[in-house]
Amino acid sequence: MASNGRRALEITDLRVTYGSKVAVDGVSFWINQGEIFGLLGPNGAGKTSTLSAIEGLVKPVSGSISVDGVDALAHGAEARARTGVQLQSTSFQKELTIRELVRLYSGLYGVSRSKTAADEHLSAVNLDEEAGKRFGELSGGQQKRLALLIATVHDPLLVLLDEPTAGLDPQARRQLWERIEHMRGAGRSILLTTHSMEEAQSVCDRVAIIDHGKIVSLDTPAGLIAKHRDDPEVKRVARGEVTLEDVFIGLTGSELRD
Amino acid sequence: MTEAAKPAPSLKSILTSLVGADVRVQLRNGRALLLSLALPVVLMYVLGIGRRGAIFPPNWRLAFAIGLGTSSIAILGYTMTVARDRETGVFQRLRVTPAPTWAIMGSRLAIQILSIVVMTAALMIAGAIVLNLTLSPGAYALTFVVAILGAGEFLGIGQAVVGLMKSYDTVNAIGRLVYVPLFALGMFGNVSIFGSTLETIARWSPGGALIGMLTGAMAPSTWSSDDWWSVLASLAYTLVFVAVGIRWFQWETR
Repeated sequence: MASNGRRALEITDLRVTYGSKVAVDGVSFWINQGEIFGLLGPNGAGKTSTLSAIEGLVKPVSGSISVDGVDALAHGAEARARTGVQLQSTSFQKELTIRELVRLYSGLYGVSRSKTAADEHLSAVNLDEEAGKRFGELSGGQQKRLALLIATVHDPLLVLLDEPTAGLDPQARRQLWERIEHMRGAGRSILLTTHSMEEAQSVCDRVAIIDHGKIVSLDTPAGLIAKHRDDPEVKRVARGEVTLEDVFIGLTGSELRD
Repeated sequence: MTEAAKPAPSLKSILTSLVGADVRVQLRNGRALLLSLALPVVLMYVLGIGRRGAIFPPNWRLAFAIGLGTSSIAILGYTMTVARDRETGVFQRLRVTPAPTWAIMGSRLAIQILSIVVMTAALMIAGAIVLNLTLSPGAYALTFVVAILGAGEFLGIGQAVVGLMKSYDTVNAIGRLVYVPLFALGMFGNVSIFGSTLETIARWSPGGALIGMLTGAMAPSTWSSDDWWSVLASLAYTLVFVAVGIRWFQWETR
């Protein structure tokens, strides 16, 4: 981890509600520069709502969000200029080619939107030969690569990835992990949500487990296992040596969520 | 390596990118654009065949064609695209960039208005060929101004539809349903055979008000108080529908 004490993201006592339903209930954490931070939780636990609040898509009822020292609630555009976002399901204008999409989003982030610059970006993720295709004509792995490219086209300090490897085959998943680790090496900070314990254990420096809108535990993957290996519920669900998945199920329960 | 904090991008960069993309999207929907031109041209000709020519004078037929094209672009084009992009998450992706929401929607509206101006020009050329109708330079200029007013009126109606309805399928169905009475009713503002009540309702319907304004604009020397009332009615429709469209519009379907 290449931390220099600079905090890419700091969330304090965040609370998000939808009508009477409390989606996020007093969540606090921070992410250092050059850190990969995983947010794990069952469906409906509050992961996407937390991300949506950071992205500016929902307005929290209370709490604070700071992106690289910028108050994201008071200065949304400045905070979003420092943030790259890959949404859970990405959709772009179906009439535009992927080169045109890269040029559009480059302009929206204030970086060069020239054809040459767009082609260089596409070449970096091996999509230069697809430049004239539409997003819908790409394979699932290519779509994820393009979505990640567009999320980082402005070289942001903070990158938010909502289930980035969902639906990918093992090869494409490994490739994406390498890209995420490469971003960390370049000094970016990554906040990712995932259902994959393997992913969290492999790429995350620290992990927070969230359930019913609250963070129930936060540590390094190894630290979480060490901290909870003797919890009765974790021991009950473990099949042999305790894993991060055992800790996750032990802390959030075995029942199915919607 | 990411070090210095970046400032928010300039508004010029944001608007240039959005408008450029929206122009491309519009041009690639060529079939829809062509349809919004073809039907008005056909009706402009058909309504003048035989005795209908006496009921619908050439300037009225051109005004009708421009109004029909305007409502097609606004309700069947703009509304459907906004509903589709909302449902598929295109707006969500744009909103997580530094682009202000007014710029995202403003760019789309500006392109629609531009399309309506281009369509108006094309229909004026078609009118000169099909109807042998030429106007004074002042009348052409005034017709363009009125076409822009009409664009505001029908884009406001489209915004209200997409504001009140959430799903694409509902917007599609309701859009097609309201398109007929809102515009086609205006056709009867020039016909008294169905009685004066229908004629009055038709005259002051959104389509009727627009056709009234357009026919007035094509003969500025005969501009009357009725034409001013058409302008007022059109502005009132614009204000009401835009207010409804903004008040109830949601960026996501969830």
